[in-house]
Amino acid sequence: MASSTSPPHPASEAIPPTNTTTTIATTTTTKPCAKCRSQPGTLDSRGQLVCPSCFQKFISQKCIKQIGLLNKDVRSSSSQSLSAYHSTQKNSGPPQSSSRRYFLGLSLGPSSAALLELLNENVEYQVSRKKNPPFELSVVHREREREKVEECVKRLAGRYPRFEFRVVYLEEVVGLGSVDWEGLGLGDFATASSSTTENDATTTTSTTASKLRRLFDNLPSTTSRTDLLRLFTRHLLIAEACKPPNKCHALLLGSSTTALAELTLSETAKGRGFSLPWQINDGVLGVPSFSSSPTSSSARPANSSPTSSHTNKPKAKTSEDQGILIYHPLRDALRKELVTFTKLAGEPTPIAELLPETDLTTTAAVVSHKDLSIEEVMVRYFADVEENYPSIVANVARTTGKLMRLFGGGGADGVEGVGGDASEDDEERLCGLCSMPLDEFGDERWKGELGEDSYRDAAVTVEDEGEKKMTKTTKQRICYGCERSIRV
Amino acid sequence: MAPALCAICKTERANIKRPKNHARVCKGCFLTLFEEEVHHTIVSSKLFYPGERVAIGASGGKDSTVLASVLKTLNERYNYGLDLVLLSIDEGIKGYRDDSLETVKRNAVQYDMPLKIVGYDELYGWTMDQVVQTIGKKGNCTYCGVFRRQALDRGAKMLDIKHVVTGHNADDVAETILMNLLRGDMGRLARSTNIVTGDASSDVKRSKPLKYAYEKEIVMYAYHKKLDYFSTECIYSPEAFRGTARGLIKQLERIRPSAILDILRSGEDMARLVPGESASSCGCKGKSKTPAATATEDDGGIGGCGSSGAAGGNEMAVMEKQLRENEAAEGLEVDVSKLSLAGTPAESETDGAVPLKMNKNSKPVTRQTLGNCKRCGYMSSQEICQACTLLEGLNKNRAQIQI
Ligand SMILES: [Zn+2]
Ligand SMILES: [Zn+2]
Ligand SMILES: [Zn+2]
Ligand SMILES: [Zn+2]
Repeated sequence: MASSTSPPHPASEAIPPTNTTTTIATTTTTKPCAKCRSQPGTLDSRGQLVCPSCFQKFISQKCIKQIGLLNKDVRSSSSQSLSAYHSTQKNSGPPQSSSRRYFLGLSLGPSSAALLELLNENVEYQVSRKKNPPFELSVVHREREREKVEECVKRLAGRYPRFEFRVVYLEEVVGLGSVDWEGLGLGDFATASSSTTENDATTTTSTTASKLRRLFDNLPSTTSRTDLLRLFTRHLLIAEACKPPNKCHALLLGSSTTALAELTLSETAKGRGFSLPWQINDGVLGVPSFSSSPTSSSARPANSSPTSSHTNKPKAKTSEDQGILIYHPLRDALRKELVTFTKLAGEPTPIAELLPETDLTTTAAVVSHKDLSIEEVMVRYFADVEENYPSIVANVARTTGKLMRLFGGGGADGVEGVGGDASEDDEERLCGLCSMPLDEFGDERWKGELGEDSYRDAAVTVEDEGEKKMTKTTKQRICYGCERSIRV
Repeated sequence: MAPALCAICKTERANIKRPKNHARVCKGCFLTLFEEEVHHTIVSSKLFYPGERVAIGASGGKDSTVLASVLKTLNERYNYGLDLVLLSIDEGIKGYRDDSLETVKRNAVQYDMPLKIVGYDELYGWTMDQVVQTIGKKGNCTYCGVFRRQALDRGAKMLDIKHVVTGHNADDVAETILMNLLRGDMGRLARSTNIVTGDASSDVKRSKPLKYAYEKEIVMYAYHKKLDYFSTECIYSPEAFRGTARGLIKQLERIRPSAILDILRSGEDMARLVPGESASSCGCKGKSKTPAATATEDDGGIGGCGSSGAAGGNEMAVMEKQLRENEAAEGLEVDVSKLSLAGTPAESETDGAVPLKMNKNSKPVTRQTLGNCKRCGYMSSQEICQACTLLEGLNKNRAQIQI
C-alpha cells in the first residue's frame, strides 16, 4: 500500500484500501471445513478453515442476531414514540402494512452491500413465512459520480425488487433543519434555494453545489473536510429515514467491527470522545431541529421561508418523536470478512459484481489529496491491525460500547447516565453541527485546565478569509470536536 | 519577505513555530509561554501546597530535566514554597545509568537541589545487569518497569517525601489513552487521564505537571534553555521506544497539531463515561472529587525502557494473545458479542496485574481494592505485589544457579 490516497468513506462505513487482502486461501491441499466437515475448507475464518457456505452462514448469523435485537427494540418502542407517525402513515403511506420499515444507508461499499444482501435473505425468509416487512434503501452520494451511482443503484434495484431505492445527493444537506446553519454563520445554507420548479432544477443544483464546494474549500484541513462530509452524510441519512409521511422505524448502517474501531479512534483523536457512546452504540439518537419551519426537522423548506429571525433560540432540544433508532447490524463482522462475503453471496452472481468497479466511496470530490485525514490514517492503521490482531479490533468496538451516554435515557443497554456532575442541568442541548449532545461541563473543565486560550490567540488566524465568519458565531453552539474541525 | 514578528511581544523575530498550535513566537516568549502553561496546570489542579516537600523523579532525560528546571523557575517566580528534591533510580545497567546519573548529578548542582539515588540492588537485591544475566534480554523490560514503579515511591518514602512528580508529557498520556482503548481497558483509561495518581490510601502521591506539554515542545524548551540532559534509550530494549500507538500519535500530530491535546480531551471526557468512574482531574470547578487512581497504574516516567512501560514493539501481539486467551476462557466469541449487547456480567476479572481483559461488567465497576503486599508491605492489588512475585522467580533462579 504505497501511495493510494483514497480517503475513507465518511458515512456509516469506511472502505478499505483497494487492495484489501482476500481471505480466500490459495492452498491446494483440501482440508475439510472445520464446521460442516463435508465441504473442503477454503476460507480462513477466525483461525479456522471453513467452506464458503459455512462462512456465509457465520456472517449471516451475526447479522440476524442483531436484527433480532433490533426487531425487539422496535416492537417495544413503537407503542410509544413512534405511534405519532403511525397514524399519519395510515392516510398516505404506500402499501399498507403493519410491519416494520427500516432504512439502510448504502454507500455502495462492501460492508453496506453485504448488509443489503443479508437483509434481503432475511426478507425472503420472512416472505416464505407469509410476512412482508418492507425495507427502504437509500444511497447517498455526490454529484460527481452521479451516473455511476445511478447505474449501480439500477442494478441493485433489479436484483432486490422488494426494496425501494433512493439516491440522495450531498447538496441536499443544504436547508436541512438538523444543522444550525445560522449558528454556524452560514445563514445562506438554511434554505435550499429560492426556486424549486422543474426548469430551475439544474441551476439550483449547481448553485447549492458550488455553495457547498466553497464551504469545503474554506475548511482548514483534509481532516476537517472529511469530518464535515461524514457529518453531512449522516444528517442526510437521518433526514431521509425520518422523512414524513413514512418515517422509518430505524436507520441501519453497515459499519463493520473494523469501521467502528476506526471511528472510535478517529473520533477520539478529533476530541469527540464524549459523544462516542451515541456514535458507537445502537439506540435512539436525538435529531435536533434548528429550522424555524413548523414542520419536522427533516422537512426541507420548499419555498424560501425566512429563517433569519429565529437565530436567538435554536430549538436544539429533542423530543421523543424527533429521535431515530440507529442500528449497526454488522458490528460483529470484520471488514475483511464482509469483503469476502460480497464475493460469495448473492444469486445469481455475487453481490460484489454489482458494485461499482472503482471505489466510489472515496471522498475525492470534496477532499483534496494533498494530505491524509485522521480517518484515513485510522483506516490504514486498522487494515493492518485487522489482518494480524483481529481480537484487538473486535475489542475496541465492544468496549467503547460500554461507555455511558451521560444525558437522556438512551444509555447503553439501559444503563442510566450517572456521573452526577453533568446531569444537574439535565437539559440536553445538541451540537449545531454534529447533533451530538453538548458537553458543557467538559468544556468548562477543559478551559480551566488549559487556561482561557492564552496560547490560542497567537495561533494561526489568517489563512483564509472565508471562515472567519464561521468561527465568530460558533461559540457554545457546537461541540469541541466540531469547533476543532471548522475553526482555523 | 520581511521577517515575521513574534505574535506575543510583536518586537522580537518569530523564529519558533510552536509544535502545539503552530503559533510563531520568539524564543523568549516561547520559554515564558511554556512555563506559564505548566504554572496554569499546577495552579488549576492544585498540585502543591506551600512548604510541601516534592521529589522530582529524575532520570537525566529531557522530560525530567525540563520538569526540574521549570519547577525551579516557577517555584521562585510564584513562591510556591516547595522543597524540591531530585530522586533518581539506579537500575544497575552499566554504561546506561553511569552517564545519565552523571547528568543528574550535574543537574543537582545546576539547580541547587539535593539528590537522592536509589539503587535496585539496595531495594531489591538485584541490579538490572544481574537480572539480564539470569533471564536474558528478552522480557527484562517487564522487570525494569515493575521495579522502577515501586522504586520511586520507595525512594520517596526513604526520604520521607509524600509527593513524587514525574516527567510524563502530553504524548505519553495520549499514548496511554490510545493503548487502553485498544486494550479495551476503560477503567485504566479513566485513571490514566488523571494528573494525580495515588489517593488517600496510598503513601505517596504521584503527579505529572507536564501532562499538557507536547514532547516536541519539551525538546524545544530544553534546547533553547540549553539544559544539560542525557538522551536516554535503554540499551536493553531499543524496540521499546517506537510502539505502534506512539507511532500513530506522531502521525496524527503531523496531520493536526492539536490532535494530542484532543486525545487528552477525549480521554478525560470518556473517563466520566466509564461506569463507576467519576473522576475529574481539574481543581478549578471545586466539585471535582479527589482523583482516584492507583499508583500501580503509573510507570516511572523517568525515562528508561519506553514511556508506557508496555511491551514495546510487540505490544499489539501481546495484547492480541491476551484477548484471545480471554475469549477462549469465556467460551465462544459468539457469546462475547452477546455480552456487549445484553450487558450480562460474566465472571469478573481476577487478574489485575496484566489488565488486558476487557471490563465485562456493565454494572458499576468495582475498582480493585488496594491492599498491601504481604511480603514487602508495599501497596498492591494482590496479596503479593508484582515486584515481589518477579523477585521470587529471580531468587529461585539464583538459588538454582548457585546449586
Ligand atoms: Zn462447511
Ligand atoms: Zn459537534
Ligand atoms: Zn516574543
Ligand atoms: Zn511486595
